[in-house]
Amino acid sequence: MRIATYDDNRIGIVTVAETVVDITDLLEQFNPLSPADLLPDLISNFSALRPAIEERVAAGGGTPLASVRLRSPLVRPTKIICLIGNYREGTDRPLQILDIFFKSPEGIVGDGDTVILPPHDATIFHHEAEIAVIIGQESKDVPQDEAMERVFGYTVYNDVSERGTGRAGIASFLGKSNDTFAGFGPWIVTRDELPDDQLYSLNITVDVNGERRQDYSTADMERPIAELISYISGVTTLHPGDVICCGTNHQGLGSMQEGDAVTAAISGIGAFTLHVHDPLGRTWERGIDAAMAQRVRDMAAQAPAQRGASA
Amino acid sequence: MKLVVLEGPRIGVLRDGVPVDVTAAFADIPYRTAADWMPRVIAALPERRAQAEALAASGAPVADARLLAPIPRPPKLIACFANYREGRSGERLAQDMFLESPDSVIGPGGTVRLPNHPTDVVHHEAELALVIGSRVKDLPADERAFAALAGYTAGIDVSARGIGRMGPSRIGKSFDTFTPLGPCIVTPDEISDPHNLQLTLTVNGVVATDFNTNDMEYNIPEILAYATSYMTLVPGDVILTGTNHIGMGPIQHGDVVELTIEQIGVLRVNVEDPLGRAWPRPSAA
Repeated sequence: MRIATYDDNRIGIVTVAETVVDITDLLEQFNPLSPADLLPDLISNFSALRPAIEERVAAGGGTPLASVRLRSPLVRPTKIICLIGNYREGTDRPLQILDIFFKSPEGIVGDGDTVILPPHDATIFHHEAEIAVIIGQESKDVPQDEAMERVFGYTVYNDVSERGTGRAGIASFLGKSNDTFAGFGPWIVTRDELPDDQLYSLNITVDVNGERRQDYSTADMERPIAELISYISGVTTLHPGDVICCGTNHQGLGSMQEGDAVTAAISGIGAFTLHVHDPLGRTWERGIDAAMAQRVRDMAAQAPAQRGASA
Repeated sequence: MKLVVLEGPRIGVLRDGVPVDVTAAFADIPYRTAADWMPRVIAALPERRAQAEALAASGAPVADARLLAPIPRPPKLIACFANYREGRSGERLAQDMFLESPDSVIGPGGTVRLPNHPTDVVHHEAELALVIGSRVKDLPADERAFAALAGYTAGIDVSARGIGRMGPSRIGKSFDTFTPLGPCIVTPDEISDPHNLQLTLTVNGVVATDFNTNDMEYNIPEILAYATSYMTLVPGDVILTGTNHIGMGPIQHGDVVELTIEQIGVLRVNVEDPLGRAWPRPSAA
């Protein structure tokens, strides 16, 4: 099933006939305190709601997909958790220490929305396309062999990244928490539509103004999703609707700048586009940031499988 | 006013240090859990304050009240990187901060549970915590920024060292139970000068860290301006303003950790470690 958030806080099912069937009213029984509760309520009660949803979809009707305004499928999760470098990127490096950062959930944008570049003294702003895993139930200390049962579904994530700001040697990742820097879309594909045995043969791409940038396979993922869920739930309690973003392959990153249209896509899930506005009108070299790609490969080649500098 | 959250949840105000139930002033604000109630209560505080104060003046004190964290799960939990001069002079280090898991919060009297992760050591970090009162973006780095605050509380930024891949470990500060907050939110009018508050942290009654907020590298308006140059802050967000590392030491199984911030109160938590690890204690200063 494909679940979209659209127009003004509507939740709907995207059908094979490319229509959107509104199911928002089915969620009213849970007395949402705000629109941000709709998706977590749907996720928490999905098995119970599923027959009614399927009945409604089978009845046909709905609004043509082309005539709704898609929004980010995630409205305001309690946590956006992002993996740090979780692809091998063409190297044969030893397995790296698993590490994460938390991203501001205030920064969410969706298909057709605009990323606004802040006036920070950044060296560049990059797109980073990733597969994002939406958590289906409250989870703490989940063993790896049960972890996939905690997955509700998947969506496409663009981890917009400001580089070169903050304190040297600190790796705060704050430059990823600007408002409008967390792009999700176009919808959530439920786990049953994207079986576990297909998860590591997906293709992830980014096109900027029609020019191909990132183009990589999830086959290169260093640590599989079950391990990520298990480890992260050992750190922090996960709630329905929380999202784990599995990291990007940095080979193919490039700038996002004024006027750009940035389309991130994953085979089997879908594609969504972010526009870019920079009030300062800064410019960077177009195309793939080869220096960044090389830097990450070098880092990977040199990095021992132990911790880096600490302060 | 000193605002507390009581088990139930109920909202209380401290009168001579003892909570009085003022839930009636906020009873029409819908919630599911204390976690999603408090941001809404804090947002409504300016208009409800007089009513809450009237209830606090007339009501009976609640006996044996168990306090929860004053914000059981902040919408965002932000922590400043090393923000005290600690004897350094000269040019300031570049400002920086990061996000921690908001699920790491526990309240006064709670128990910090050390996880089953290999760690070099687990440290206490005593910090003044800012509680945001309104939705704000791009605040100026001057006196005007204070208007964004609902108040102040005490925070212990428990830190497991040597976890994660790079830099000072962010992940090591996000474990469940690793951010004790409390005991109360003190409104700004009751704090004479937030840049002149003494923080004293003891472990089993022995003073470990003892410092004043007058040593902060970036002051509170600068912290608020920097954070909001990145992200919108919302009612109930908490910013930990950094610690002075001098005297910082380990916490381990059986420890009682007590942070006192003058004009705010005492935040006391226990420590439990199923693995019973022990680290060398710093010798007495």
